[in-house]
Amino acid sequence: MSERYDIAIIGSGPAGLSAAINARVRKKNFILFGSQNFSEKLLKAHEINNYLGLYGKSGKEMAEAFENHLKAMDIQITEEKVTNIYPMEDSYSLLTNEGMYEADTVILTTGVHFGKPLEGEKEFLGKGVSYCATCDAMFYKEKTAAVIGYGKSDEKEAEFLADVAQKVYYIPMYQDEVSMKESIEVIRDAVVEIAGSDHVEKLVLKGQEIIVDGVFLLRESVAADQLVPGLVMEDNHVLVDRKMQTNLPGCFAAGDLTGQPYQYIKAAGEGNVAALSAVNFLDSRK
Amino acid sequence: MEIKHVNEANFVQEVVESDIPVLVDFYADWCGPCKMLSPTIEKIAKESNQYKVVKINADESNRLLSRYNVASIPTLIVFQAGKEVNRSVGLVPKEQIVKMLAV
Repeated sequence: MSERYDIAIIGSGPAGLSAAINARVRKKNFILFGSQNFSEKLLKAHEINNYLGLYGKSGKEMAEAFENHLKAMDIQITEEKVTNIYPMEDSYSLLTNEGMYEADTVILTTGVHFGKPLEGEKEFLGKGVSYCATCDAMFYKEKTAAVIGYGKSDEKEAEFLADVAQKVYYIPMYQDEVSMKESIEVIRDAVVEIAGSDHVEKLVLKGQEIIVDGVFLLRESVAADQLVPGLVMEDNHVLVDRKMQTNLPGCFAAGDLTGQPYQYIKAAGEGNVAALSAVNFLDSRK
Repeated sequence: MEIKHVNEANFVQEVVESDIPVLVDFYADWCGPCKMLSPTIEKIAKESNQYKVVKINADESNRLLSRYNVASIPTLIVFQAGKEVNRSVGLVPKEQIVKMLAV
């Protein structure tokens, strides 16, 4: 385990960046997980006219302004994917694709995903449905598995699985060209459901059914209550109070994740509140 | 109670024939989420003598994995009178594990 942070911020959209800025102002030891591109959604925005002080900017221009702000305050982004956050007695332990971290408080700013779980996904979780190829590959030594990939980076995980399993199918949910070792069979089709009896038996696609022992779902980001076990949600959003406090002590949430309106300035404002609440929480424990 | 390490050789004696409920933690040394769960499992083991807690290393007990349909770790299974009564997969909060044991 590496050093223990005061605050871990998950997500680099306006809410996460704003939380980081405020954590810096309040001189807390924090780590910010996200992407150097901040947020795909932000980059795609055509024109934003309701962000105070930045009239008529495109998402790209806005990202540049954010970048300058971070530089001026010497804030770095750790480009690791946080896969699990688990509440310990008086801290949180965080697992990323590269290692483990510990923090006293957590601020979740991972945005919203509108994807619904697949038919059969919850039912067969742990009975053939898995979210982590590197974790569960060994269970497929002489078995067949399908990997549903949501981005280029998932191809590596599928290849890792293919080294262990007897046969791997790869179903990309994106348009980009797929380049993987030849032993993996790529199928471009829409997923209908995961089916079986007491264990996964097949993956039903629109055009065909494949007989598999397991299905790996490598989603870009997992739902917040899957990321943090025990987190209370309300209608697909994380339930927070006015201080952006969730039901878990020391765990805060901000931005689109907490509900509508999905607006940059609302996200930035909530990031500010969440960071200050985290600071108060830390100070009250001393 | 202390956590016992169980394998195929002593599973029947330690789990199936146990007089009290048993919480079985299927894990592996290379599994990150298992490591995260571990301190909580240890705490639960210390809290009561009404049940016992055992760990099974997935790498060493293949037959137990297929017998109990474990295809993902960490998996927790509560056994009572030799039968599975509750199961959880992945990281779950401490309260939920304690609830699983209240059988």
